Amino acid sequence: MSRGAALAFLKGCREGMHLFGQNIALIINTILLTAVYVLGVGMTSLIAKMAGRHFLETRMKKGEKESYWKDLNLGKKAVDEHYRQF
Amino acid sequence: MAKDSTAKPVYILGISCYYHDASAALLKDGVVVAAAEEERFTRKKHDTSFPLHAARYCLESQGIAITDVSYVGFYEKPFLKMERVLSQHLEMFPRSLKTFLSAVPSWISEKLRVPKAIRRKLGYKKGVLFVEHHVAHAASAFLVSPFSEAAIVTVDGVGEWTTTTYGVGRGNDLTLLKEIVFPHSIGLIYSTITAYLGFSVNNSEYKVMGLAPYGNMNPDTNEYYHKLRRVVDIKEDGSYRLDMSYFTYHYADRMPSGKLCALLGGPATKKGAEMTKRHQDIAAAVQLLTEEILTKILIHVRKETKQENIVLAGGVALNSVYNGKILRKTGFRRIWIQPNASDGGTSIGVASYIHHMLLGNKRGYVMRDAYLGPSFTTTEIKGFLDKRGIKYSEGFLDKRGIKYSEFKNEKEMIENTAKLIYGNAVVGWLQLGMEYGPRALGARSILANPCNPEAKELLNTKVKHREKFRPFAPAVCEDDALTYFDCDEPIPEPTDFMLMVYPVRKKWQKAIPSVTHVDGSGRLQTVRREQNPRYYDLIKAFGKLSGVPILINTSFNIRGEPIVCTPHDAYKCMMGTGIDYLVMDRFLVCREDNPKDMWDSEKYAED
Repeated sequence: MSRGAALAFLKGCREGMHLFGQNIALIINTILLTAVYVLGVGMTSLIAKMAGRHFLETRMKKGEKESYWKDLNLGKKAVDEHYRQF
Repeated sequence: MAKDSTAKPVYILGISCYYHDASAALLKDGVVVAAAEEERFTRKKHDTSFPLHAARYCLESQGIAITDVSYVGFYEKPFLKMERVLSQHLEMFPRSLKTFLSAVPSWISEKLRVPKAIRRKLGYKKGVLFVEHHVAHAASAFLVSPFSEAAIVTVDGVGEWTTTTYGVGRGNDLTLLKEIVFPHSIGLIYSTITAYLGFSVNNSEYKVMGLAPYGNMNPDTNEYYHKLRRVVDIKEDGSYRLDMSYFTYHYADRMPSGKLCALLGGPATKKGAEMTKRHQDIAAAVQLLTEEILTKILIHVRKETKQENIVLAGGVALNSVYNGKILRKTGFRRIWIQPNASDGGTSIGVASYIHHMLLGNKRGYVMRDAYLGPSFTTTEIKGFLDKRGIKYSEGFLDKRGIKYSEFKNEKEMIENTAKLIYGNAVVGWLQLGMEYGPRALGARSILANPCNPEAKELLNTKVKHREKFRPFAPAVCEDDALTYFDCDEPIPEPTDFMLMVYPVRKKWQKAIPSVTHVDGSGRLQTVRREQNPRYYDLIKAFGKLSGVPILINTSFNIRGEPIVCTPHDAYKCMMGTGIDYLVMDRFLVCREDNPKDMWDSEKYAED
């Protein structure tokens, strides 16, 4: 086998392993995230719904309110508050 | 008191990324000295990735290193946004599984690690400042506007939680007073209909705006408008709420629900399908609905704030059709919209917010033009042409029999380019710094003759490879605009950024068919000489030849690609399309003179 062919073979192996790694990561991520979704999000959601708690206002009853504007009053804050991500 | 000339300037870098239109902007002592979107460097349209190239360009343009930057700001609060995303999944379990699986990895790997990304990619060691998304929008409009006081309205798809806000700006201070929160969003209604009509979301909303005038714009007789009206409860103060059973965007990656499809009389349109009268009427209906809500909001805001000036920001502020109606409908007397009103513009917003609101500096800068991106010197362009071995300059004989040489001076360049356009040639035009924002404004433009009735079809099919219904924009010198267009007086400054649509005066509609839309309107760009003297003089020179000082100005790109940035991008774009000539600085390149570099861009033209 020539040097060029050997390098091409090694390059192909490396690319194949990389692709294989990506696919494995995708499968594991999907399994783990599905478990988190079902156990974490699902359980919390079910308990919250049983308690009558809603996380989004998805229902619309015409005439329910005079205005949908919500108070915000977002003005100047201390610099330190802007170092937070929330 | 004179400023101490030895004082070190304060540089502030603003960054927006990880949603759409990532960008970076640099302020030097409160003046925006550089700003650009990442897509122009990476050549990926609406690139969301960390704006490393844009940030590097900003620093290099000033010859500084990241260690010279005093503050870095980010355009939203990631944890607040994450809270909203989690709330969507909690509310919509189990229907949101698919979006949970596709979205969560990027949250874990990048969106919640902004300080780390800034430290690792830029080498910035200090703390990063975070500003709420709609505050960044508001700051991007008010703090660089010409107004000392103004009402502020921000409307987009969604930020952290907020979708619509209003407030007031005074001096170097601004306060957002009220908000409407997710999932209720005008921007997302518009995007839903965009998706329904077979166009891409966060990209092609302007196509719906362009399609609307072909439909029935009478709210009394447009049946789809009445159907869409059932989906939204609109109060007299402009506040609104959506019936979410018609939408799926709060839990799925597609936007209209089956119920909305049934309401509109059929399934969502397939990509690339022919637009029928029904599609046109649906586009008209969503435009009418948007205009109705925005008019009510603005009338309410005018009443509440008692301000005469209005500044707008957010993606919905790019709705130039409505922008042109605001002063006539709402009682405001002056309007300002930043050229990059969408998320891309928030990098300027967050940097300006830090400079004025957090550091308490007074305002002294007004954003008069959008040429904030990379520019290229004569030597650099000549270097590119020599290196590439492109034929240019001396002895070039045009097939029309006009002999050209490398332009000796500006006058010659302008007069000859005007002659080419008058002869119905399509000219690529690269001058000055690249535009910041989605519109080409005479720095990275394709220019053509608006008096040529064939120009629209030629540009749509051979150059831009885009839908036939889409109109082209006219560029006119500010002092000529009122002759040809029925604009507000005085002409609002956002018209300089192609953000206002006005009727073309009836007398001139037939003279400039290629830039007169089906409803007799034009999305004009007014040009002031102090902004771009070469472009201004070119339009005037063309006017002397044609009798109409107006040019077709369309963005220098092909469909699906970002606007060109460098001479290389411009040359490549010309060689792949039906552009006849490229004028870069004082160099003229003819496509037919360089057959070895020709290629066909049509198969790559895709949104």
